[in-house]
Amino acid sequence: MSSPTWDEFAELALKRIAASGAEYGDIRIQDNSTEHIEGEDRRIASIRDARDIGFGVRVLYHGAWGFAASSILSVEEVPRVADLAVEIAKGSASVALEKVRLVPEPVHRDRVVTPCRINPFNVPLEKKTDLLLNTMEVLHRQASIVRSSASLWARRDKKLFVSTEGSRIEWDLLAGQGECTATALHEGRFSSRGFNTPHLRKGYELIDEADLFREASRVATQAVEKVKAPVVDAGEYDLVLDPEHLSLTIHESCGHPSELDRVLGFEANYAGTSFLTPDKRGSFRYGSPFVSLVADNTEPETLAATGYDDDGVQCQQWDIVRNGVFVGYCTNREVAPKIGESRSRGSNRADGWSNVPMVRIANIGLEPGSATVDQLIADVKRGIFIDGHGSYSIDQRRYNFQFGGDAFWLIENGRRTHMLRDVIYHGITPEFWNNCDGVADQSSRRRYGFITCGKGQPGQSGWMTHAASPARFRNIQVIRGENSS
Amino acid sequence: MTIVSDKGPKMTSRDEFRFLSDLVFTRSSADHTIVRLRDHHAGTTRFANNQVIQNVDARRGSLAVTVAFKGQQGTASTTDFTAGAVQETLARAERIAKVSPIDPEYLPPPDPCVFPIRDTAKPETIAAGPSRRLEYASEAVGQCRMENFTGAGLVSSSATVGGIAADNGLFGYERRAGASFSLTVHTGDATGWSAAAHRSIDHLKIQERTLAAISKAKRSRDVCELPAGRYPVILEPAAVAGLWAWLIRSLDAKSYVKGTSAFADKLGRAIVDERIILQNSPDHTDLFGEGFSHDGLPSLPSVWIDHGTLEQLAYDRFTAKSQGVAIIPTLEAPVLSVEGPSVHSIQDLIKNTARAILVTNFWYIRPVNPRELMLTGMTRDGTFLIENGEIVSAVKNFRFHESPLRVFQQIDLWTAPMEAVNSETGKLLVPAMVLPQFQFSSVTRF
Repeated sequence: MSSPTWDEFAELALKRIAASGAEYGDIRIQDNSTEHIEGEDRRIASIRDARDIGFGVRVLYHGAWGFAASSILSVEEVPRVADLAVEIAKGSASVALEKVRLVPEPVHRDRVVTPCRINPFNVPLEKKTDLLLNTMEVLHRQASIVRSSASLWARRDKKLFVSTEGSRIEWDLLAGQGECTATALHEGRFSSRGFNTPHLRKGYELIDEADLFREASRVATQAVEKVKAPVVDAGEYDLVLDPEHLSLTIHESCGHPSELDRVLGFEANYAGTSFLTPDKRGSFRYGSPFVSLVADNTEPETLAATGYDDDGVQCQQWDIVRNGVFVGYCTNREVAPKIGESRSRGSNRADGWSNVPMVRIANIGLEPGSATVDQLIADVKRGIFIDGHGSYSIDQRRYNFQFGGDAFWLIENGRRTHMLRDVIYHGITPEFWNNCDGVADQSSRRRYGFITCGKGQPGQSGWMTHAASPARFRNIQVIRGENSS
Repeated sequence: MTIVSDKGPKMTSRDEFRFLSDLVFTRSSADHTIVRLRDHHAGTTRFANNQVIQNVDARRGSLAVTVAFKGQQGTASTTDFTAGAVQETLARAERIAKVSPIDPEYLPPPDPCVFPIRDTAKPETIAAGPSRRLEYASEAVGQCRMENFTGAGLVSSSATVGGIAADNGLFGYERRAGASFSLTVHTGDATGWSAAAHRSIDHLKIQERTLAAISKAKRSRDVCELPAGRYPVILEPAAVAGLWAWLIRSLDAKSYVKGTSAFADKLGRAIVDERIILQNSPDHTDLFGEGFSHDGLPSLPSVWIDHGTLEQLAYDRFTAKSQGVAIIPTLEAPVLSVEGPSVHSIQDLIKNTARAILVTNFWYIRPVNPRELMLTGMTRDGTFLIENGEIVSAVKNFRFHESPLRVFQQIDLWTAPMEAVNSETGKLLVPAMVLPQFQFSSVTRF
């Protein structure tokens, strides 16, 4: 006897939910494949091929949630888990004060597939391991490089979402990424410099187009220069931040505070809350007029552009900050009505079948300006150009942050000069963004993806992409990452 | 209240794991084959704004097969335990291994040994289900409501089976339980926090922890702002654990050998106050000791820092072999202690302090400079000014910029090791302590 289809499993679960008297229910069935090849110090340290199959059932009963999930996809387990989700929801309902009300969403029946030229899972493994080994050899051509790493990551998510409202959405999604890092040692001091492609929903063409050898040669050279570079002098500097670096700044200081569930206190015990309270919407000057931060879950190839979220809500584009004024949130069907919105923004996502979806940061990007990068730098007397990700930390309301970077160059009298090391800058989010006085144009816009955005308990990893052109920030406080005491 | 059944799914038994691993070994054509099992059943009841916002239960079984042909290795895993899927997983692992380059650091599976048997599977935790978690959550929420505070937190419980088997006869199977509770109490800018984790759900002490968080929140109502700078500090156990967790994570032996470690050339040398001892105590009933590691090595008591001197590093098997280290220690059950007379409680530390900042917890600790183990992070959920042996005010939260290798050079006063857990560390036993100087680099708005 053949195994039931996913649709038959879904029907089995939804029938149990409907029979329970619940007002809403859905099931997500997923089959995820991940291939991760990691090279370390001129060797292939591990090759892992993980297959993760399971399903999760979500039930809203008398205004309260229940969720149950299992990795056993069988005719016995699906009804057991559906019944358990109902039972848990009934338990939640028994102590509920305020009932959950879902904002309406049209019924969708659709299939979403990541277009790709080269399926990464069909690329011969030998080709990938050769690429990584040769990349690490390039890194080690620099004499001071003592450690190296290189890796390739690919993921395929096959998913079915079916709800009691009649939505049925099927996905076949891909994502990939590649990176390499060199660590240089000089006089007992060590520094790393890395290159990574963005995480994008593309095929293996993402890796082919990246030219890892060229990038490896560049970052190895820069790792050596960085480790020998002078440490920064603490003080006030103008900063010109590259798109990769800005992707993290945007993520931490704009993305998280714009998650409406945080604003409403859902994350008060863990990820924190937000300074962007609803009374500020439409009037709070988050940044200078140069700053427009736009959520766009429709841009092709970006991580959150999945057609629909895990509420079955269609992906959208909307403003978070327009010309410096805070105007919008990332929402789901549960929290949107709490601020009087009639439709969810479609930002409810789970990191797999075993977890319940929650509000996640959208693909928030900094809208390009009109200057060129050279023009941004030309107008800096004493500044620092910061590239890539380094150390980062921010308080639980997203006010006080501290960022490092992967590489730093001193800017003097309008010219980028030599590298610096151990640069750390800190500030208060709205003060920082109000000090932005220029964003470069579309030609230098780049996109960077995140797949390890931690939130929720149990912890989940959110996926989203942040795009930006380089931007300039005036009078930012810089300190030394090195112990000067 | 609706009664929710606590009947969970049946976990993979020892015999079933033996059967599955034997199935793999029988079909494997590799020189060496290892099978790892993780069968995890967990539930979490999460609440915020004094009501349940999330109530979940999930079971995931995962089987990973690693094979090697003369140093060429590959790993594949599956969540499907049917015979066909397990064999397909083996076939995937073999396909990977056969085209992989030879790994110069490959080592065959460890020799079979008898793993210590520990009391890791507390039946009361394994039996706990949604109703028990809901009961505990309701207890915390009820107390917050009575005191006119808003509570957010969680109650979770889990049962896990961990297994490792190799075709040379190595076999380990262990049932493990875990439960945790954490609570943030807030009103306006005032917050208080408490957390617990234990193998036994009976030891979460919900009422005691809830009252502690409420007490912190009450004391946080009147806040003053102090300038950034160097202050003496009283670090509560969660704050101490946050700093030590990063120190422990940085003990990687391979980085040490390559010269890219904060501890380079410091093995066998003093790195912190000479009264500090860091041990692995896997038999301690308040910790999460395990019988064996992911690599199939037994977890045994060991001393990592002895009277301030670094005695151990975290070795992978290859680095251990190349460095002539015969026994690889684990550190999943850390106990940090300070030798000498201690005070009884955090309250005693406060009473004996003229002026200091009392830190309940740190948040978002991240490395700034791995060479010096320079860290940054924020104080969170209960930061106070102590003057003349008393809490005189809450203070706005600080960002710190410090290295544990510097701040733990001198400890002025301490308690005996206490349970410590926060959202970014596992569980440790550490003392609360008074440190003479701690660098706060900036202040936030609340």
